[in-house]
Amino acid sequence: MSVYVPLWCKSHYSFLEGTCAPDTLVEEAYRLGLPSLALTDRDGVYGIVRAHMQARTVGTQLLTGAQVTVSDGSSLLLLAQDRRGYAHLCRLLTTGRLRSPKGQSAVTWQEITTHAPGLLALWGGEGSLLAQESEPLSVARLLLDAFGDRLYALLTRHRQANEVPQERHLRTHAARYGLPLVAATEVLYHSPRQRPLQDVLTCIRHHVTLSTAGRRIKPNAEHALLTPEAFTTLFADVPAAVAQTVEVAARCTFSLTELRYRYPVEHLPSGCSPMRWLYELTLAGARQRYPGGIPPAVVTQLETELALIESLDYGGYFLTMHEIVEFCRARGILCQGRGSAANSAVCYCLGITAIDPVRMDLLFERFLSRERAEPPDIDLDIMHTRREEVIQHVYERYGPTHAAMVANVVRYRPRSAVREVGKVLGLPATTLDRLAKLLSHDSVVSTETLRQAGIEAEAPVSGHLLRLTNALLDCPRHLSLHPGGFVLGHEPVNELVPIEPATMPGRTVIQWDKTDLEALGLFKVDLLGLGALTQLDLCLQLLRHHRGITLSLATIPPEDAETFAMIGRSDTVGVFQIESRAQMAMLPRLAPQSLYDLIIEVSIVRPGPIAGGMVHPYLQRRSGVEPVTYPHPALIPVLQKTLGVPLFQEQVMKLAIVAADYTPGEADQLRRDMAAWQRSGRIEQHRERLVTRMIAKGISPAFAEQVFRQIRGFGEYGFPESHAASFALLSYASAYLKCHYPAEFTCALLNAQPMGFYSIATIIEDAKRHGVTIVPIDICHSQWQCTLEPMDAHAWAVRMGLRFVKGLGEKVGDTIITAREACAYRSLADFVHRTRLEAEGVSRLAAAGALTSLEGDRRTALWEGRGLVRRHDETLTLPSRDTTPVFAPLTPDEVITWDHRTTCHSPRGHLLQPLRPFLQAHGLPEARKMGEFPDRTLIRYVGIVITRQRPSTAKGVVFLTLEDETGFVNVVLWPQVFRRHVVLAKTARVLGVTGRLQVQAGVVHLIAKQLWIPRLPNTPTTNASRDFR
Amino acid sequence: MAQCTLSRWACVNVPALPLQLLLQRYPTWRHEPVAVVTDDRPQGTITWVNGQARRAGIVRGMRYATGVCLAPRLRAGVISPTEVTTSVEMLSVRLHGLTPGVESSGLTPGLLWLDATGVSHRHGSMEAWAHAVHASIHASGFQATVVVGYSRAGVTVLAKTRCGVLVVADAAAERAAVLHVPVQKLDLDPSYAEALAALGISTVEEFLRLPVAGLYERFGSELVVLHHQLTGRRWEPLQPIPPTIPLQQGIEYEVPETDRTRLLFSCKTVLNGVCPTLAARHAAITALHFDYALDNRTHLTVSIRPAAPTLDGRELLELVRLRLETLSLSAGVTTLTVTVEDMPATEEQLRLFQEVERRDLAVANQALARVRAIFGDDAVRRLRPREGHLPEARWTWEPLTSVVRPQPQVVTIGPLIRRILLRPSLLPSPPRIQREAGWMPLGPEAGHMVHLVGPDVVSGGWWRREIHRDYYFAETARGDLLWLFYDRRRRQWFLHGRVE
Repeated sequence: MSVYVPLWCKSHYSFLEGTCAPDTLVEEAYRLGLPSLALTDRDGVYGIVRAHMQARTVGTQLLTGAQVTVSDGSSLLLLAQDRRGYAHLCRLLTTGRLRSPKGQSAVTWQEITTHAPGLLALWGGEGSLLAQESEPLSVARLLLDAFGDRLYALLTRHRQANEVPQERHLRTHAARYGLPLVAATEVLYHSPRQRPLQDVLTCIRHHVTLSTAGRRIKPNAEHALLTPEAFTTLFADVPAAVAQTVEVAARCTFSLTELRYRYPVEHLPSGCSPMRWLYELTLAGARQRYPGGIPPAVVTQLETELALIESLDYGGYFLTMHEIVEFCRARGILCQGRGSAANSAVCYCLGITAIDPVRMDLLFERFLSRERAEPPDIDLDIMHTRREEVIQHVYERYGPTHAAMVANVVRYRPRSAVREVGKVLGLPATTLDRLAKLLSHDSVVSTETLRQAGIEAEAPVSGHLLRLTNALLDCPRHLSLHPGGFVLGHEPVNELVPIEPATMPGRTVIQWDKTDLEALGLFKVDLLGLGALTQLDLCLQLLRHHRGITLSLATIPPEDAETFAMIGRSDTVGVFQIESRAQMAMLPRLAPQSLYDLIIEVSIVRPGPIAGGMVHPYLQRRSGVEPVTYPHPALIPVLQKTLGVPLFQEQVMKLAIVAADYTPGEADQLRRDMAAWQRSGRIEQHRERLVTRMIAKGISPAFAEQVFRQIRGFGEYGFPESHAASFALLSYASAYLKCHYPAEFTCALLNAQPMGFYSIATIIEDAKRHGVTIVPIDICHSQWQCTLEPMDAHAWAVRMGLRFVKGLGEKVGDTIITAREACAYRSLADFVHRTRLEAEGVSRLAAAGALTSLEGDRRTALWEGRGLVRRHDETLTLPSRDTTPVFAPLTPDEVITWDHRTTCHSPRGHLLQPLRPFLQAHGLPEARKMGEFPDRTLIRYVGIVITRQRPSTAKGVVFLTLEDETGFVNVVLWPQVFRRHVVLAKTARVLGVTGRLQVQAGVVHLIAKQLWIPRLPNTPTTNASRDFR
Repeated sequence: MAQCTLSRWACVNVPALPLQLLLQRYPTWRHEPVAVVTDDRPQGTITWVNGQARRAGIVRGMRYATGVCLAPRLRAGVISPTEVTTSVEMLSVRLHGLTPGVESSGLTPGLLWLDATGVSHRHGSMEAWAHAVHASIHASGFQATVVVGYSRAGVTVLAKTRCGVLVVADAAAERAAVLHVPVQKLDLDPSYAEALAALGISTVEEFLRLPVAGLYERFGSELVVLHHQLTGRRWEPLQPIPPTIPLQQGIEYEVPETDRTRLLFSCKTVLNGVCPTLAARHAAITALHFDYALDNRTHLTVSIRPAAPTLDGRELLELVRLRLETLSLSAGVTTLTVTVEDMPATEEQLRLFQEVERRDLAVANQALARVRAIFGDDAVRRLRPREGHLPEARWTWEPLTSVVRPQPQVVTIGPLIRRILLRPSLLPSPPRIQREAGWMPLGPEAGHMVHLVGPDVVSGGWWRREIHRDYYFAETARGDLLWLFYDRRRRQWFLHGRVE
């Protein structure tokens, strides 16, 4: 039996056209016994890396190509024969993409011929010029001249009636131009069962429903990957065209393994090699880091690292990161390296990271090793308000052809999938909206969800909706930008991968995401925005400006007892990394006393340690309930820091090295396999090796198995110690500032918004509980941002900024401030006259109480303000014809409600404060009293829902944080309670909870039994809660 | 339009008329939060909400997407302006039976004012009349409030705030009741309602205390007009809708009539009377509705529609004759009632009919009208091409109302023509082993199948009714070229066309 090679296969990376993943296509080709397969996505090579990796695994030859759209509407299949051809293909696709609107591409025939070297062209298919009756002479001449014997006529069959005349024309033209015929079917899915999904994708692409799609959808299910028998039967009358597919495959020898990537060499001092320059910079940095002399251990470590960097030729990468960090320093942009880079002494000496890896005994191999098949990954956190400056600097320094951002593939999630599929099926959009809102980010649509949305689950259309929505999940929808990943190249990047325009002006994006880059071992520079750095920078500036205290991240006093006492009380609203509900619940149990404790705190509340069952044993040992034991004396140095329980990725690696004789590189591979075990199952390969060798070393089989379970559970959600250390530094810094300078801390936190876990109302209430005076927004005093105002010689109050008036633009704010700076406002009339604000703006300010200095009563200000705006254009101001009516004054609770409605916060009081007598009368306690009740007390409580959380590791348990004027109450909803009260749990803003208190080690939880809507005299107007997964 | 001053006013408020229409369409939604939206999409604006939705915090002006966040079970639908207008017209017609003066609000659908002057004479009391009005609206399936009082503004405000029937004793009582009405019940523009609420103005009394000039300066004329109406400074007369009385004529037969010729001549008598009347009104007949009351106490209703509005008695009579001939009367006719639908006849229309063309479309249309008259309204149809994969899905039948001048495209006719059957016909199954040898799809006369070319596959429709057809061209021994398919789902062969 003769075989064939499918030469025209489109994966789901031909966005909204193909249905299956590229690796699935390769796998299916392998299953069908096909030796090769060409991946030819439309105008891109988005899926080529995934297909390549799968092809390497199963031993299938992958041909790299693309279906290139031509400006006349037709298309051409191009396959890369060699590296040069691949570079041409990438450049051609870049040309087409960069000139077209996002998501589209078009090249001219002339451009195709310019990029012909190294490429094979397959000309044909539906809509091709070669398959039309008229003679495509001019194009044929162009292509023949450029491609010569590398041009083929593509004979396609999909059992469609209209293909018969097209094939007749194609064969006539091919014979005339002497083009060999090559047979193909357009593969859009690997199995005919996926045809409905392909129809749906087509409808989504054309914005039509199935019933109105007409001939836009394919007439049959003949676009699957065919078995050799089916293919040869289909083309039984042209066996030569079938044989030609194999010949074409034989001519294409290019593989992605040929990609050689050179990192750009920096502008070096004359006569200096990159490594030489790196040596010098590192040494200079080390002298600064260790002014008392570089310790011998550090020297040894630096020598080891630099030797490895030199042998791997990674010097340029380190120089680039150093250059970016220096740029930030010079511009006063706060930045700090995160992730495994903190394991490197070179990074520490170059100023990229702030953690001394030698002192902390961190494992360098977690960052870089010879056995690793991929380059190191340095992530740089930059204060989020100034990250764009750094990004533009990178573009300027390397140029648009040598620098482009990494892609992020936006995929269908339950909500988007249900909306799109439902629309295609013709369901009312309002019904779909109702259904979509019941779905979470990672749920699947079920009959139960349909019923909840009021959709008849038994109807046939519901079955389609259910099946297709779940089939569409994870399909790529379109390309977007990675938050901060850059690819930089010594040679143009567009010879490596096509570049296309991003939606954001001035940015370009490659067609691969970070997983693809990692798979190919390409360098990526991550420039990430971090709100916490902005907040710290703002806070340090405030300290300098108002108190004359000059502090930096490096000079904040370490190991401050007061700070740790505050942390131990879970008093951490606004503190970086340890402010979440889960972290707050852990803090009293862990009671951190040192920076290292904080490192453990940061890393222990992670899905990895939780799923690996490490948290409980660690806490038991820490509190002395359980003795600290080690399975083997050799493991004491590895696990001593964490009381015998592995908590960090590095410990797992060291454990493998010490207990199972892994090399550092192999241990890193273990770490990677651990991260990907759920997908790849590769972790099982380590099981026998780890367990057997541990037993051989004298470790008990039970412990060996336990360690393996922990490793497997650790997954990709555990922190490396170095990363936790970098974050813990920032956590400590922000905790220190909150503890000693709460006004400055609050002011900076408000100005750095949006960031963090809590809304501004919660931040302000917390600040008030810490004795910070919050002064309301006032047009006579407020700046755009929050500011500090002196109260006495030592105390400062936070003056709220105009930015918090809902709907007030920054331009309006500038107008108000500029006019005020020229001359203070004398009256409301003077304010309105000089700022010439619209009625809307004046009304917003009046309702927010921002005009109180000029007109004490908000209602009068509203009335007067509107009238004054109407008289803007009066040249001769006449006295008003009416006297101002007397309006009912606002009650205290109305004032708070108005504040929240207009500014999302109230400096004057909490929403529940006016209701407290009523709540007390009904036996409903306040949050701060919760800790006073004994464990298991049945409690009824009413609070405002500020966060909702349903962690994936919590097995369906939902956590709510409720707030009142005295603090927070953490509510735990077991799955059955959540199911019973799902609507209330998801939507209620003011919520009543009946449940039992759980008081353990100073941590209080309310285990809900029932949720209810409290009947209050006035229901407060609250803002939406912040919900997390 | 006639205007009149009234001593007694009545106001009928059908609150949230579009919402009531939506609930009539979906009666099972009554216990759910429901909203009327401008468009069927998440961004559609909510225009009306029911009590359950309101209690969930949903208000008019919100987007549906916002509403569903507040009430996840929120049901919504679109009510077109035409549906609202039709309902209001229907209500007006009903109310005309109770008072000649009926005015409908152009701004608030479902708000109607009635002339209540003197109605108590006919109904015994004002209360009885008000209850009759209420019952009449209720019989149409709507909830309504009826208020009888002394001023337009007064009854309007009270009708928006009360339920059921209210007859105000005197003008002073009306004014006192109005003053306590909450401003939010006045159906003000949401921006005005919000602004007044922000100022703490909650009742009409408080609203009336605001200075008029100040109101004008800040909010423009709309609130000032309302202010004047409520204080009685502005007075608007009733502008009644003229009742639409259809032209109708009846003939009663002393002896049940069975003879069709005599029936036809009865119709002729009616038409002879009607046509001059309509001509005087500058109207032309668009339809004739015949109601035959039969001796066996049944009714037979027949409609005739001419090709174009006409006053030509002969043309109409001919259509009546054609229809009469096809009617089967189960008993003699005791009463014949003819109702005439008419529309204004314009000169332009008349000129159109006077044009003489080589291809007289008017005559063609008349001919089609005759066909319709004989075989019914659906008898005349035409094919319209459309996008589809199935051969029968590539066109659709649609009613042909009038003939238009054809504009054929020049096409290159191929050597073969495929005649497609309207309905595929079932073929005998082929022998199991060899399809071509021994299979006589058209019977022994056409002989065995000698060639079978294909298949082209058409499959799909999985979302409605899945089909899978393998199409072939086949040649029989006699030389017939057939277009046939194998239906994989039904496992049967069908002939779908022939090639000539």
